[in-house]
Amino acid sequence: MTQALSLLPPQLMTTPPLLTMTGVSRRYGDVVALQDVSALVYPGEVLGIVGESGSGKSTLLRMMNLEDTPDTGDYRLALPDLDGNLFGLDRFARRMLCATRIGIVYQNPHQGLLMQHTSSGNVAERLLIAGERSFANLRARGRTALEASEFPLDRMDARPIELSGGMQQRVQLAKAIALEPALLLLDEPTTGLDVSVQALVLDTLKRLQRDRAITMVIVSHDLGVIRTMADRVMVMRRGRVVEQGLSDQIFQDPQHEYTQQLVHAKL
Amino acid sequence: MSIAQLTKAWQPMSYGFLDASAKRELRRKMLKAIAVPGCQMPYASREVPMARGWGTGGLQVTLTLLKPSSVVKVIDQGADDSVNAASIRSFLSKVSGAAETWDTLDASLIQSRHRIPEERLHAGQILVLQVPNPEPLRPVEPNMSIARQMHADADYGRLWLILYEQIVRSGRIMEGAAYPSLVNGRHVMTPSPIPRWDVPKLHMAQHLTFLSAGREKRLYAVPPFTKVEPLVFSDVPFKVEDHGALTCHRSGVNGFYMNEIPQGDGGSAFELSDSHLGIKAIRQAEGEADQIGATWYQNGHLA
Amino acid sequence: MAYVATRGGARAIDQAERLYRAELGQIDATRVDAVRRALPMLIDRVMGEASLYEPDLAALALAQAGGDLYEAVLLLRAWRTTQPRLAIAEPVCQEQLFTHRRISAAFKDIPGGQILGPTLDYAHRLLATDVLQGRPYTPAPVTPAATAAPAYQPSLAAWQKAQGLVADPARTEVAPDAIPDLTREPLLFPAKRAHTLQSLARADTGGMLTLGYAAMRGYGNAHPTVNELRLAEAEVRVRHPRGTVFSAGRVKVSQAEVTSKGKSGQLSLGFCATLGWNEVKVISGATLDLNAAAAPKGSPVEEEFFLYHTEPVEASGFCIHFKLPHYVTFQSSLDALRGAKTAAAPQSEQVPT
Repeated sequence: MTQALSLLPPQLMTTPPLLTMTGVSRRYGDVVALQDVSALVYPGEVLGIVGESGSGKSTLLRMMNLEDTPDTGDYRLALPDLDGNLFGLDRFARRMLCATRIGIVYQNPHQGLLMQHTSSGNVAERLLIAGERSFANLRARGRTALEASEFPLDRMDARPIELSGGMQQRVQLAKAIALEPALLLLDEPTTGLDVSVQALVLDTLKRLQRDRAITMVIVSHDLGVIRTMADRVMVMRRGRVVEQGLSDQIFQDPQHEYTQQLVHAKL
Repeated sequence: MSIAQLTKAWQPMSYGFLDASAKRELRRKMLKAIAVPGCQMPYASREVPMARGWGTGGLQVTLTLLKPSSVVKVIDQGADDSVNAASIRSFLSKVSGAAETWDTLDASLIQSRHRIPEERLHAGQILVLQVPNPEPLRPVEPNMSIARQMHADADYGRLWLILYEQIVRSGRIMEGAAYPSLVNGRHVMTPSPIPRWDVPKLHMAQHLTFLSAGREKRLYAVPPFTKVEPLVFSDVPFKVEDHGALTCHRSGVNGFYMNEIPQGDGGSAFELSDSHLGIKAIRQAEGEADQIGATWYQNGHLA
Repeated sequence: MAYVATRGGARAIDQAERLYRAELGQIDATRVDAVRRALPMLIDRVMGEASLYEPDLAALALAQAGGDLYEAVLLLRAWRTTQPRLAIAEPVCQEQLFTHRRISAAFKDIPGGQILGPTLDYAHRLLATDVLQGRPYTPAPVTPAATAAPAYQPSLAAWQKAQGLVADPARTEVAPDAIPDLTREPLLFPAKRAHTLQSLARADTGGMLTLGYAAMRGYGNAHPTVNELRLAEAEVRVRHPRGTVFSAGRVKVSQAEVTSKGKSGQLSLGFCATLGWNEVKVISGATLDLNAAAAPKGSPVEEEFFLYHTEPVEASGFCIHFKLPHYVTFQSSLDALRGAKTAAAPQSEQVPT
């Protein structure tokens, strides 16, 4: 369960990490997608993963969502009733975990949404998989999730295919948070949207993160997005982590040559 | 010992038409089906002298169960006299020597297309339902292999979603016949295109039900005393067709599923779909000794 | 007098059948023989789709069904079910096929030669109406060639394998009764190779043509070239329990192998064979086989799609089953529709929103 972080003076982080990934490697034929990647995410924190295309950042996110398994590596989530390396889970346990305790927002809404069903239906599907059987509750909880994603309720029964890109992302977001998951993954959530819409969606994400203290991992090639959202940043290049640290640190004082290039290349 | 003593005379076909290897495969699949209620078991589905789509699946199960002492009733849309039922019934008795009956109370094997009789079936009776499409996930996923995996994963979210959206769009669940139902709390099945009226008869029944699709090559079963629960939301109750108050214009019987017969004056007359129940009622009224058994519905409601 | 329901149903179907058969009149051995001699290509097609090689029975089925192809195939398949399986024949290799016709579109000439064999490919399609005026059509006699065409031919694919153009997978031995049998097991996907080939062998010609044509026109990724087409006779060799292998006769078989550019610098092959001579079917079937591996999910050239939908007995049976009464399910839908209509009215039922 998440707790709102109160505004206390800075303290040493004593809570254990929520997400621990160690030594994750993956090849596809001759291509090295990930090479010995490790990551830590603490509860309530936002980790930003930045890199250019081919860096492996989206592959890593898919691993976190258990959509793919690596050649080697360990993945643990500090959640009740979960033990051991999650990459070793059987099919049924993996599906249940993904459906009920991890939320994901894809860059392409077609990947995350059932476009021909209603928006409220997309959210309801999640609730139904988790066992909700009351129609009234499906409507109420659907409304709550859509509202939190700042989606206009008068359009809750419109189909995503009829909506704009920004609205589609909000439906994805509502679907992802409907079951109040411990972990929210976002893969280039605002890429492809108009700049003004991007800003609005990011605002929603920030508000959501602050109000619910959701643990997030955001992948983006856009440093502006990472800078706005992330507490900590991991820079990836060609399947490896080249640098990681606090967001401010990375942006103000990048150590690695590649990070420096990225930061300074930003207009 | 002579050859004549050791062998049987050549016959043009085996008892019950199907040969031993066909029956063996069917028996094994039928036992498997009973062991995992509601789960579709693929089977080879041999050709029989009847076109596919006309009940070959039900026929293969019935032929496997037939014994010389069997008493078979065959109905289509509830009527024994329907042309297809008549054709199947005569084939069954021709290949097995089993007795034929129209009376639900006398039958040991009932093969039916799209209806369950109104009189309660008991432990000594087996119901075989003909199924055109065995896959309840077809509206969600037309590919049979993917649907099979979805059943294994108990991945029924999208099926529920269809029902949810029917309520959002039309204010009620729009499924007519073949209402998707959860069997033994694990597998969702289609109960074949029986009306909603008949679905509650499968729940915790005394009798065994087989459902078999010959063309699609799948069979499944509802063993006795097994839960069969139509997929419904806890706050939107399951509704059967509104026939509880209708009266059969030929027999005077009321409170059972009816056929609507459009009339020349623009109105409708109704007659009992379970036609032999109507015949027995008429004969009883004339003083004959016909027995009508206990029924699942009484006064138009589930007892 | 007690009420007795009229048993009209049984009488109706009996008379309906009589009405159909009245036009055909008496069916005797002479008629069957006439069909057998006059319509060999149709007999071949029906034997292929019924997966039963017996020309006399096929002719009888056609005579009995009055020429209705789907009825004839159903008659033969239903009869086939009643017959015991006596033995499984020895496998037939390409080099052992007694070849009447063998052509390749891939090369101008091939080892063994391009043998046109019996074909109407280059004939002018002119209807011989003279026949109806009392002037029978008598075909010109065949002029024997100076040198006979070789009766046995190497396969072109063997040459291509030696050249490294075509993959040559290792052969695995399978015991005869371990060969998967589509007529005794359900077809599940991804299909076993044996099941695919058997399904193609007895598929409906028209259905195969439709989907094969779609693949050729671009719904499939692979554009086919006919590597080798053969019309031949295969020896049915049966092994006696004591070990002797003897010939139980010959059956006509046709097969097509088509090719297109495949992955990693080699040619891909598609294959289809059937009992009897049926060129349209084997070329379409081989094209579908060629396209199956790379077919987009949900496309008509995906294996699960074309194998399901080219089954003649299932397809025709389901199509005509729609003639059966469906009034109970129809009544149920009407009920749902009427219920929804009243719900749409202002005073709707209590559905929580």
